[in-house]
Amino acid sequence: MSQQQTKNCITLRGSAQIICEYLKFAINSVLFQRGLYPPENFKAEQQYGITLLISEDPQIKSFLTNLLTQSEEWIVNKKVSKLSLVILNVANKEVLECWDFNVQYEDGDIALSKEKNETVSSKDLKKIQQEIRDVMLQVAATISYLPFLDCRCSFDVLVHAKTDCDVPEKWAEAEPISITNAQNVQLKSFSTNLHKMETVVSYKLVD
Amino acid sequence: MAKEGDMSLFNDVLEPFRRVINSDPPKDKLSAASKLNFSDSNQSLKEGLNNFLSMGKRKSSIGMSESCTPEKRLRTESSSTPASAPPSPWEAKRLKIDLIAAKAQITKLESRINHQHTIRKEMQILFEEEKASLTEQHKRDERALSDMEDRLQIVRRREQELKDEYNEAIKEHKQNKAIWDKEKGELLKQIAEMKDKLLEANVTSKDQMSEMKKDMDELLQALEGAQTEVEILKKEVTKQTSKAEQCITLKTQLEKQTFELQQVTNKLKELEYERDSYKDWQQQAKTAQKRLSNMAELEKEVGRLRANERSLRDSVCNKLLLEEQVHQLQSRVDALQPVQEELHEAKVKISSLESMLEKYKAVARSAGVDSATALATALDSALNTQLSATAATSHAHSQLAQLAEEVATLKFERDKATGKLNDLLSVRKNHENLIHRLQKRLLLVTRERDSYRQQLDCYEKELTVTLSGEAGSGNATLLAARVEQLEKALQGYRDLLATHDSTAHAKLVESLRAEGSKHREEAEALRRDVAKLRAQRDALTAQLERIGAHTHTKVLHLSDNPAAIAHKQMQQDLVSAQEEIKKLKAELEKNTSSTSSNSMSSEEVQKIMAQLESSRIKLRRMKEEFTTASQEYRDVVYMLLGYKIDRTGHNNYKLSSMYAESPDDYLTFTLVDDGIEMVHTDYSTTLGELVDLHLHQNRSIPMFLSGLTQELFTRTTMQQEQ
Repeated sequence: MSQQQTKNCITLRGSAQIICEYLKFAINSVLFQRGLYPPENFKAEQQYGITLLISEDPQIKSFLTNLLTQSEEWIVNKKVSKLSLVILNVANKEVLECWDFNVQYEDGDIALSKEKNETVSSKDLKKIQQEIRDVMLQVAATISYLPFLDCRCSFDVLVHAKTDCDVPEKWAEAEPISITNAQNVQLKSFSTNLHKMETVVSYKLVD
Repeated sequence: MAKEGDMSLFNDVLEPFRRVINSDPPKDKLSAASKLNFSDSNQSLKEGLNNFLSMGKRKSSIGMSESCTPEKRLRTESSSTPASAPPSPWEAKRLKIDLIAAKAQITKLESRINHQHTIRKEMQILFEEEKASLTEQHKRDERALSDMEDRLQIVRRREQELKDEYNEAIKEHKQNKAIWDKEKGELLKQIAEMKDKLLEANVTSKDQMSEMKKDMDELLQALEGAQTEVEILKKEVTKQTSKAEQCITLKTQLEKQTFELQQVTNKLKELEYERDSYKDWQQQAKTAQKRLSNMAELEKEVGRLRANERSLRDSVCNKLLLEEQVHQLQSRVDALQPVQEELHEAKVKISSLESMLEKYKAVARSAGVDSATALATALDSALNTQLSATAATSHAHSQLAQLAEEVATLKFERDKATGKLNDLLSVRKNHENLIHRLQKRLLLVTRERDSYRQQLDCYEKELTVTLSGEAGSGNATLLAARVEQLEKALQGYRDLLATHDSTAHAKLVESLRAEGSKHREEAEALRRDVAKLRAQRDALTAQLERIGAHTHTKVLHLSDNPAAIAHKQMQQDLVSAQEEIKKLKAELEKNTSSTSSNSMSSEEVQKIMAQLESSRIKLRRMKEEFTTASQEYRDVVYMLLGYKIDRTGHNNYKLSSMYAESPDDYLTFTLVDDGIEMVHTDYSTTLGELVDLHLHQNRSIPMFLSGLTQELFTRTTMQQEQ
């Protein structure tokens, strides 16, 4: 918890941190809920007033920290429009599920921004956390309708960045994915008044 | 002169009042003084009157006849009222009565004032006494308060001290606890070390056992040195026993440590007891606080006393009110004095009015009317003439009113006539308008007629032209008929126009309006549709843009993502699995190809079987040797130590003495983690003394066993001797 927040004022970086924290918990929650890794690898943690599960696997941990530190930088610089968590079949690399996290940029509190000489938001942190909690509860509820993953699966996170964004070390360009016969479910969205986060899950409809 | 006399009279009258106000003489004295004063005033009055009368004599001759009445009055007044103005004795009497009443009231009031003065003094004395007592009580209360505060401070100090002591005790307790924990840890470490040592010892013993086995092998190989090896074994036994003793000593040490632990726990209990005692102290502090709460009651009492004081102050205020009332009464008395002055003035006026009356009488006499009756007759005649005059005027007035009425009726009639005239005029105007309009219509009609005539003429001309041109009578008649038809149609159209023109127009307008509103609604609906469609279009364009943006964005991901790793792993697994399959396949092929070499392996099997057989024989022999050696060992132990030791089960050993009286007399021991323990048997219960002495006090099993041997031995020998 390192939000730079003073007296109901969230800076751009603080907002990006809130977004990345949400992403961390959301990705971990999806990994747990969808059963990609054995449940004994997860540890319960209190966040947003609910208990969330965080993976203890060192490989996943390092992957997420690498991903999110870079993403935070990109979000601050408004380079990222979307992050997609892709769940694919390891055997044939078929995409089974895609969790889209759409990032939209907002202006925040203009009057206060002028006063502080930087873009800030005056939204209450508690309100934001409440909104995030609602999304998290929805994420947990998705398992009731998402199809069962009955093969060896793994995941990847694709960052949809602007074309002028340079590719850092350890990163590579990937092919955009598409799910055939996809079903989209829009979850609740939350906003820090600087960033608006929409969560959409699309999955292969099995008939 | 008369005024001066009145003033003196007035002064005389006031004199007793002043005296009464200045001093308060007894009632009978006052009355005597007033009487005296009144007589004095009478004399002065008499003189004044006489003077007045003499003046009257000078003025008129009729004074003598009239003056007898005041004289008489004077005589009567001299006996009755002192402050009498010459004319009315009744008023004088009343004045006297009033005066007496006033005096009586004054005296009453004064006495009341005195009484209240005395009451006030008494009240003041009482107040001062009570005030003194209250101040005393107040001081006492203050002293008590200060005492209580001191006590409170003491209690607080004591509480603080107790708290400090408690904190210190807790600190000590914590320190001690830490120290003990440390010690405990150390002891545990030691125990662990000891256990390790024991384990090591066990291991070494096991090693030695293996050595023994080796020795036995040696015995098997060379049966000669068996006895010497037995000796070695004995030595080892002794070593083990010594180790066992060491173990026992370790056990005793452990017991000591447990004892120390118990002591520590005892100390802990003591500390807890101290804490309980501190709780008691807290309760005492609470009771002290309750006593302090009683303070509030004392404060209430002080409040009550203050209320009392307030009521006393109120009564003082009441007293002040009474004084004020007295003052008011005095002021009223002061107010009454000008009233009296007015009274005197009125008397003076009466006298002047009487003189005026005299003057009027004189005037009447001069007019020739001596008596009142003559005056009355003259007045009557005058009144009669006036009455007749007034009657005449009233008659004239009534005539005037009649005339005015007639005039009004005439005026009303005239107004009516003019109204009618106006109506008629308006009717005429209307008629004129109508005539004008009709004339206009007539004009129009005539013009129309003229125009039709012209048209007809035209037609006729045409007809004549055509007739003259073609000379077709049939055609002409046809044309005439046509003209007639056309005229008829025209007339019909005109009629229609005349009849339909207003209503049809209105209907048309309405229908047009309805249509207009319908169109408007439609337009509104269409606009809404447009807005909807626009919104849809916007959404779709946004979506398109997003899709376009998709293509515009770069998709990046970490090169070592879990999916890639998993895929690599999978591929590796696949490769390794395929390799293994290949290998296995190759082996299988090899096996199938080398079935011919099976005969070779059967020879080997036979060899191995032979080896197995020989090793089995060896084992059997070794077993036999071992059983014999162990039997020998047991026999030796039995012979040397006097006990037969049997292993009855896991860790259980049965000991029966050489000198036992029956085979049922045996002892059982079990091997536990930290030594050996004796288990209760029927026989052991009979050996209470020995158990108590050697096991409970000396904690030595060998001593117990040897003691038992000795006892049994003595018993058997005693029996033999007997």
